[in-house]
Parts: sequence; structure tokens; C-alpha cells
Amino acid sequence: MSVARKQRDVVSVEWIKLELIRTAYSTRGGLFAAMDPRAVLGWYVMLALAPWFTHNLTTISCLFAIGVASVAVARVGPLVLGLFVIGLGFELVYLVLAATVFGGDLSTFVALTEVTMKLGVVSLASLAAFVSLDPEKLSDALLALRCPPAIAFAVSYGYRMMPILVEEFSTVMEGYRLRQAPPEKSGFLGWRYLVHWATLAVRAFYPIFLNTAKSVRTTVEALEARGFTFATIDGRGRRIRIAGLRYSWLDVVVVLSSAALIAVGFAAGAEWPLYRA
Amino acid sequence: MSDPIIEVRDLSFRYPGAVRDTLRNVDLTIERGDFVAIVGGNGSGKTTLCKTFNGLVPHYWSGEFAGSVRVAGEDTWGSSVARLSWIVGYVYQDFQNQLVRPTVRDEVAFGPVNFGFDDHVERTDEALDAVGLTHLADRFVWQLSGGQAHRVALASVLAMRPEVIVVDEPVAELDPAAAHEIYEQLTMLNRERGITVITIEHHAEFIAEYAQSVVLMSDGAPVWHLPVDQALERAGELAEHGIPAPQIVAAMRAAGVDGVARSVDAAADRIRAARAVIPAAPLAQTEPRSERAVVVEARRVSHGFRSVSGEVQPVIDDLSLVLREGERVAIIGGNGAGKTTLMRLLAGIHVPRAGEVFLDGSNTRASRAGRLAEKAAYLYQQPERMFLKESVRADAELFPRSRKDPETTAVVDRILERVRLTEFADRDGRTLSGGQQRRATLAIGLAMRPSLLLLDEPTASLDVASRDDVIDMLAELDGAISCAVIATHDMHLVAEWATRVVALEEGRIVADTVPRALFADDSLLARARLVPPQVVQLGRALGIEPVPLTVNEFATALSRTEVPA
Repeated sequence: MSVARKQRDVVSVEWIKLELIRTAYSTRGGLFAAMDPRAVLGWYVMLALAPWFTHNLTTISCLFAIGVASVAVARVGPLVLGLFVIGLGFELVYLVLAATVFGGDLSTFVALTEVTMKLGVVSLASLAAFVSLDPEKLSDALLALRCPPAIAFAVSYGYRMMPILVEEFSTVMEGYRLRQAPPEKSGFLGWRYLVHWATLAVRAFYPIFLNTAKSVRTTVEALEARGFTFATIDGRGRRIRIAGLRYSWLDVVVVLSSAALIAVGFAAGAEWPLYRA
Repeated sequence: MSDPIIEVRDLSFRYPGAVRDTLRNVDLTIERGDFVAIVGGNGSGKTTLCKTFNGLVPHYWSGEFAGSVRVAGEDTWGSSVARLSWIVGYVYQDFQNQLVRPTVRDEVAFGPVNFGFDDHVERTDEALDAVGLTHLADRFVWQLSGGQAHRVALASVLAMRPEVIVVDEPVAELDPAAAHEIYEQLTMLNRERGITVITIEHHAEFIAEYAQSVVLMSDGAPVWHLPVDQALERAGELAEHGIPAPQIVAAMRAAGVDGVARSVDAAADRIRAARAVIPAAPLAQTEPRSERAVVVEARRVSHGFRSVSGEVQPVIDDLSLVLREGERVAIIGGNGAGKTTLMRLLAGIHVPRAGEVFLDGSNTRASRAGRLAEKAAYLYQQPERMFLKESVRADAELFPRSRKDPETTAVVDRILERVRLTEFADRDGRTLSGGQQRRATLAIGLAMRPSLLLLDEPTASLDVASRDDVIDMLAELDGAISCAVIATHDMHLVAEWATRVVALEEGRIVADTVPRALFADDSLLARARLVPPQVVQLGRALGIEPVPLTVNEFATALSRTEVPA
């Protein structure tokens, strides 16, 4: 088999790593990134809860449109957006299949679509909100909202671990790619390759976890030495952290206008109601 | 005059579940303002001892603890890790794992904020300023070079305004220039702020140059604690514990001069005073470059990686290179010069953005990386990255067995014998010591039976004894592979092993020469931020031609200049 290898910049492990970092640390900016994280969380709760108060398809469509608009102003990157669209697409295909196989008709499909749409609104709101919050902002907001410090820290440290884990994964996969012989023949639709890669991905967990666990020991000791446990008991650290949070006009404007848009959605639903049969 | 900051009395400690004590009846006093080097072989209890100073032992590691440790007058048993870390700062050997926050400023402020100090902003700025990192305050920690990351770890400890700083093997993960910078930094903190500095160190050169006193640990207890001059005079004892004498001391012995010198200049003065050294006539150097078979060739190769912000950062720039059979090539250059990238391109793991690489005559674009691995093996800088299986043997067998080589077992047995790991064959590679891990990766590479072997920093983070061991082993490989390439900062390795040196700077080749010529070229050394081995410096200071690369060559050169009595 002849392959002409080229350096790929998209859809490679390296690209996924960069995308995750860009997403996690909201390096693309965007509307919500400029807001106070507590206001973003409030905004998120508002939009994520709204669809569950109605069965009116008109209202849900309006909410979905608001979600799409938020994702646009939040400058969500191609990786997570792509995953969302693929996920939604598969969901729709599955619904059509399920409806046909189990002897349903269009009405069954519509009924199932309603839930999908609602979940879609929640997903869009999550994308917009969490892509815009870097881990520091998010954990400060959680602290400010009286969340236990351990959870707030876990959020921020979890993000810190992510590039490490992805890096570790790509190294281990590279090791296997170089040292484990690939299958001789590709088989029908390359199924042998698929099986090969799937096996490797599973086998990769053993080295990844051992290597990561080893390095985490230092981290835990360092946390202890630098007063992390102390801060969970003593409140002064929390005061310093959240002192930097300030609401601004932007927060008020964004939250109020979103609330207004949601209200418009419900009004439109009342005017032109559309329910599933 | 006695003003002890740390007093250890009758201390014994056993880790939970261990069968014997890690520390045994330790008595040790460290004076305020001292610069102490703690030395000793692997497993002598150096790190555990240092962890008793900030209370990690016994408060975090709660084993069997007997005796007492007083830090600045406070008994650690009745204190806590948090309280003690205001007095004692600890920088780990694997300092990258010590960084828990995304940006440099956050990282440094983490301690002061946790403890709720109102002056946390001043403390952070002060600490960043002290290590010269103010301009990097808003960087993400994973964008930093190794030297910068170490300074961040140091700053995060300084922000607590400690009275004692413990640094665990700073030389292990840093290039020599960066390690010298860290030591200069520590010396400044020691002199100007009176901070007591404790380092764990294997390298006698650094001890001689920076430390004021030395503690030799053996089997869980200090053998002695002496001022550095007296300590270095006990070269034999140090060598027994895995700390060979600095090359200048060995060279002085070879020249028949007694005593110790702490710097190259001092050694040169004493040798000159003791005996005549006449610059010898240069040896006629004939190093014919026979046109042997080409193993790998890079033709006008350029490569780069995308950064978080999206643009391509060039790493290799229009580079051409031919490596032939029988060569031992050392690729040198500062961090970020493109050494690793070049090796990975030569091994065919990546393909270049422009230009072509021919490995064994065929273009690397034409085959998968997995197939190219049959011709070229690349060994990572961090050995743990190569351990995929549950034992060293399984790791070495992975490559030949998956290619259905019927002789797998026999071949791997022979290789394990060769790297002296037969008795560890069934252990998990991650549980081995640094030197053993390095030899295990060598076994993995050899089991691939490549014609081109590429090693990334094979002597990094090894103590001196294991390092010499690895260098010897590399020297024995000539029969097994046709060409070996090493990327390294270790000038001892270059001096003792390489036959060809390729110096990289910003992705271009700035010199392609032999080691002796490299060490004679001051401007090149300065540009590549290289520090030649001490014996080379000494030879040049004494005007010996050609420059000696090893202590043996130095001794031979001196015997030639011997003035007949």
C-alpha cells in the first residue's frame, strides 16, 4: 500500500490537544469571556432551565435559536462544535430508525424530537458558557457561590491535568504505533485497522494511568506544603480569591436581554402554539 | 556563633509497610545561612531526610517516627506541614509536577493566597522579580522551558518568604547552563537574604563551586558533615558513594599534585606552580572522512509546529545533513534549537513540511512510521515514556514478537544480558532506578535491531556513576548498529563518545565538526551556551595542544611534556 505522508495540522492528536487547550482557556475571547463568571453561571442556569417549562415546539425552537446565537458570540472552536453537531446528527438518524423499526410514524418522531431539542438547548448553553469560562474564573465563581473549596479546586486542577493526559495519551499511542506491528492486510473497509487501533486505545490506559499516578504524588505533596488544605479550613484565602470578582454593566445587559429574548420565545409560543399531536 | 536553623536528634523513620528504616539515628545540625549539599548514593535517604524538614515526614508520610527535628526552634512533631512551609520551601526534582496553576503569576501567588496573606500581591511580585521572571508572569506554565519552569517553582516557594530552601537535584532535569543559573540564583538568595540553602546533588563540580558544607549520607544516616574543602579532600570516600571527584581533582592527581582546587583556574595555578608544563607540538591529526555508505540523509528540510494561537512556529529551517555508517554523531544546541524535532524527522516519526528525508535510501514519506521503525529507533528523553508493558522483557519483546520474529526470546535474552538487566527482566520498568531505566530503553531500542539509533538526552537526570555506565555501554554498541545519533547537553558525553558534532541553532546547522575542534572554538561554545568539561578547560588553561578530552588524555599529554630530570 502506498501512502504519501504529509504533516497534518487538522484532525491530528496534536490538533485535538491544541483545540482542548484553546477551549479550556478560552483563548478565542468572545462575549461571555468578558463577563463576571457568576453572571455567566446565572445566565447558563436561566437558559438551561427554560426549555423544561414548556412542551410548546415554537417556544423550544426560539430557545434553540437563542442557543445557536450564543454559541456564535462565544466563538466556540471547531472541535467541540463539530462533536456537538455530529452528536445531534446521530441522534436524529437514530430517532428516525427507532421510529420506523418500532412501527411508529411521523408523530412518534416529532415526540422524540422534542426531548432532543430540549437537550440541544442545554448543550448549546453549556458550550457557550463553559467555553467562555477559563478554569480559574469558574473555580472563583464556584467559591463565591459557597461551593466547597475542594470542588472548586478540582475544577481548576482538572483542567490543568487535561493537557498532561492528552500528551501522555499521544506519547503512548505513538509508542504502540512504532513498536506494535500493524496488521498485514487492511480487510473489508479496513476493519483490521479499526480493531488494531481500538485494541491499542484500550491497552494505552495501563501505561497512562501508571505514569500519571506517579507524577501526581509530587503534586499532592506540593499542594499540602503550599497551604491548600489550610485554605479549606481558613477563610482568608477565599476572601482574597473572590475579591477580584465584580459585576459590570455588561453582565446586567447580557442577562436582562437574554431574559427578554426567552420571554419573547414564550410569547411567540403563546401566539402561535404548536404541540405534538 | 552557633545559630542552628535545623537540629535533628536521634531521628529514625520507617515508611509505612517498609521492612527497614529509611532513616537511622540521624544527628545533624545545620547552621543558619549555610549552603549545604547533601550527597549520597541512591536509596541513602537524602530525599526522606529533606522531607522531615518541612514536616511531610511525619505529617504526610505517617510512618514510624522516633527522635526529634527542630526547625527554627519549632518541633516539627507538634507542628503541621502548612505551618512549617512558611519556614521551609521545597523544590522537587520533578518540579514540573509541582506546578498546579495554569499561569505563572497564579502559581507563585498560590501559597500566599491560600494562607490569606494580605500582602500576597507584593510577595508575588517580589518573588517573580527575585528569579527574573516578571516578564513571563502571564504565560501558561506548559509554555515554559525547563529552566524557566524550575525558576517558577523556586519563585512559588520564595513567595512564602522562607528561611530555608530545599532543592532536590536541580541538575537532573536541566541543561548545564540552566543549572548554573539556578545555582547562581540560590547563591544570591543565600548571600543577600541569608536564606539557608540545602541541595541534594550528585555532581561534584557544582558542590565544589557553590556549596559551603557537605553532608554525606549513607544507608539512612549521615557519615559526616564537613566544610566543603575538607569534604572534597575525601575524594575516595565520595567516590565510594557514587560521587566521583570533579575532573579537575582527578586531573591534579594525574599531574601528581596533591590537595583540592575548587575552580579550573585554581587547579591550573597549582599545577603550574608544582611542575613545568610545556605546550606539546600538536599531534598530526589525520581524520580521513572515508565515503562510507549513507544511512540517513535530510535534504533541505523545514518543519514547524502549530502553537495555541494558531500560527506555525518554525523549528527546523532549510537543513541538509548526511549521516554515514560508523559515525557517532552528537547533536548539540540550547533548548529549543530543534534537536528533538530533527531526530524525530530522521526517524520518520514526523515527515517534514518541506524537503525530504531519505532513510536507508527510501523517502520517509513513502512508508508508515511503524514500518520505518524497523530501520530507525528513537529513544525518548524520559525513559518512562517508553514503558508500555508490565515488565522490561515484555517491553523489549513487543517489537520483534508482534512482527512474528521466531528468535524473539533468544534475541531479547541476549540484549538484556548485554545491558545487564537480566535480573530485572521481570520488573516493571517504572520501578527501576534512573540508570536502569535508561538501560532498559536501550534494550527496547536494540530489540528493534535498527541500523540508525537515535537517543534523546541519554544521560540526563543520571547520577555520575550511572552516566559513565551508559556512556560505556553506548561505546560498545558500534558493532550492533551502523550509526548512532545523540541529542545532548552533556559535554562529557560529547568528549568521551562522539566522533562528529553537529551544532544546531534556531533550526540551522551552525557547525559540523569533531569534538576537539568544538572545544577549541570559544565563539561557538558561547553561542550554543555550552560549558566544556573541566578537563578540557584545564587543558586549555595550561595551553596543552591538542586539547585533552578526557582525564586519561590529559595524563598522557602531561607525560609527554615531562621535563627529563
